[in-house]
Amino acid sequence: MSAPWLTVAMVAVAAHLPTRSALASQDVAARLEGRAPAAVVKAVQTIAQDAAARGLPVEPLIQKTLEGSAKGVPAERVVAAVRLLAARLDEARTALRDAGIATPEPEALEGGAYALSAGLSADQVRDLGRVSRPLYDPALTLHIAATLTALGVPARQGVQLLLHMIQAGRTSNELLDLPGEVQASMARGASAAQAAEALDIDEGALGQHGSHGEEGREHQARPHRP
Amino acid sequence: MKKPYHDLVKRLLDGELRLAELPPDLRAEGEEALRLLGAVDRTPVTLSPAVTSRVMATVRERTRSPARRAWRWLVTPRNVEVRFRIRPWLVAPALAAAAALVLVLARPQTPVSSTNVVFVRFMLHAPGAKSVTVAGTFNQWDQNAAPLIPAGTDGVWTTTLALPVGQHQYAFVVDGRRWVADPAAPAIDDGFGRRNSVVAVTRQGARTL
Amino acid sequence: MASKDAATDGEIVRAVLAGDVERYALLVERHRDRYARYAVKMLGSHDAAEDAVQDALVRAFDHLGECREPEKFAGWLFLILRNRCFAEHRRYEREARLPEEAAGSVAAPDRSDGAMERRERAGALHRAVQELTPEQREVVVLKHVEELPYEEIAQITGATVASLKMRMHRAYDRLRELMKEHV
Repeated sequence: MSAPWLTVAMVAVAAHLPTRSALASQDVAARLEGRAPAAVVKAVQTIAQDAAARGLPVEPLIQKTLEGSAKGVPAERVVAAVRLLAARLDEARTALRDAGIATPEPEALEGGAYALSAGLSADQVRDLGRVSRPLYDPALTLHIAATLTALGVPARQGVQLLLHMIQAGRTSNELLDLPGEVQASMARGASAAQAAEALDIDEGALGQHGSHGEEGREHQARPHRP
Repeated sequence: MKKPYHDLVKRLLDGELRLAELPPDLRAEGEEALRLLGAVDRTPVTLSPAVTSRVMATVRERTRSPARRAWRWLVTPRNVEVRFRIRPWLVAPALAAAAALVLVLARPQTPVSSTNVVFVRFMLHAPGAKSVTVAGTFNQWDQNAAPLIPAGTDGVWTTTLALPVGQHQYAFVVDGRRWVADPAAPAIDDGFGRRNSVVAVTRQGARTL
Repeated sequence: MASKDAATDGEIVRAVLAGDVERYALLVERHRDRYARYAVKMLGSHDAAEDAVQDALVRAFDHLGECREPEKFAGWLFLILRNRCFAEHRRYEREARLPEEAAGSVAAPDRSDGAMERRERAGALHRAVQELTPEQREVVVLKHVEELPYEEIAQITGATVASLKMRMHRAYDRLRELMKEHV
């Protein structure tokens, strides 16, 4: 009986190995040379080294540095943004691990960090990550949730809408359509929240209900029969 | 109101302790707890054989209907040109001068290939611009790596890039200094006080997010 | 037919993806009951469990091309079923359904028939387990019905062993309270 249960853990493991700290540091210097001021390169090297030691992907940090430098952003602001991103990647990893993803892929971590910066809570990232597996890519669902929030849909509502669509077995393409559909409704005069609600009602939801997964919250699963 | 079980009794239930290892004054509580959990029914459950026939009936229905053959997509290589409809509100006159459209030419590689690449066309309506490029995570934010070229006389600039599957942030750079996100797509704060757009590339095509 | 029965899950998955759809029936037969007990305990009734398992098997077929490790089909199917069980709970909560009766009627407390009393207690415990939160119910089911160690439950649920034990210990107290008439 143990074999099929154990295989669950295998399914979740990604092929990705954590970057070695020293290699990451060399990589940062090589990638940023000539593209960013020396002070920025030095600071980001330190941040990247620390991130790599903790098993977090370094590539998003490099990208953020390149982006800031290309856009002519002052050095301190670039470094601050990179530091913040590293913290968000860490937070995203905790949330996705809580979701049962033992080794989240770098793309999922980036999606999680992206969602957090858009305003989703760690709990919401966790819930989406949990429900996405194994049929949907959490990187994708997290990006969509972040986008809905950017449009003005309240985070909780956006996440609930995605949860319902996932449970209904919608294809990934149908999930990708969501931001466009919300925009279309808004162009016709609805608010973002109204647009999301209308889509949710279409999905067969019957209004607000509690999210599952609260640790320690004891509530009756169903009405008590005497 | 029953009081909580003693910690040691809970560890007994967890299988970490044996009843004999409990202090004498907790034995009764331990026995009660074991009796409670002992009532659990472990009988294996057999579902009705009708489950198999119902599942297979649905499975056969799926494979018969051409509209639901999406699952075959991942197995059968195809050369497909997919054009997404230009969303009508993007060309509404009320919009600001620049309107970005992303059309997609999807040509998936064979399923065995490790390169998952989709051709994505970027378009920007920017009349009066002298140069337009697109920079993003797919080209290390190099604002010179992907120039757009004018595609006619009506101020439309365009380029086609091969992008790997995944989510990519990007923005257009107009005249070498003005960073413009897709104004028609929801943009995300880039952490520097400006905004980026996101394009999600899947094996079935690409969408701006 | 004998040679086909010897095929591994991975071989059958690849055959189905190559177009031999009828062979999916083999996977269905093989795994239909494997997690049925878990589904019954999580959802409270045999009917609900059948619906959930059926739905999970269909969904697994729909997404079969995405099963990254065909040899681990069973574990992948379990994840799909698990999601479905938690989703089902949310639906029931929303529609405020009453708990389904487990097999066996409620016996009067003064019956002296041992077997009857045992069945009655089992039924009462089953109902009590339905009163737990879904997270508590799952750890009780995986540990005391499926008899998995905490380490395996941690891998399945993504929770740490420490938090699982906390969850379980709260469940023990809750069950004690719910079962007080039967102790």
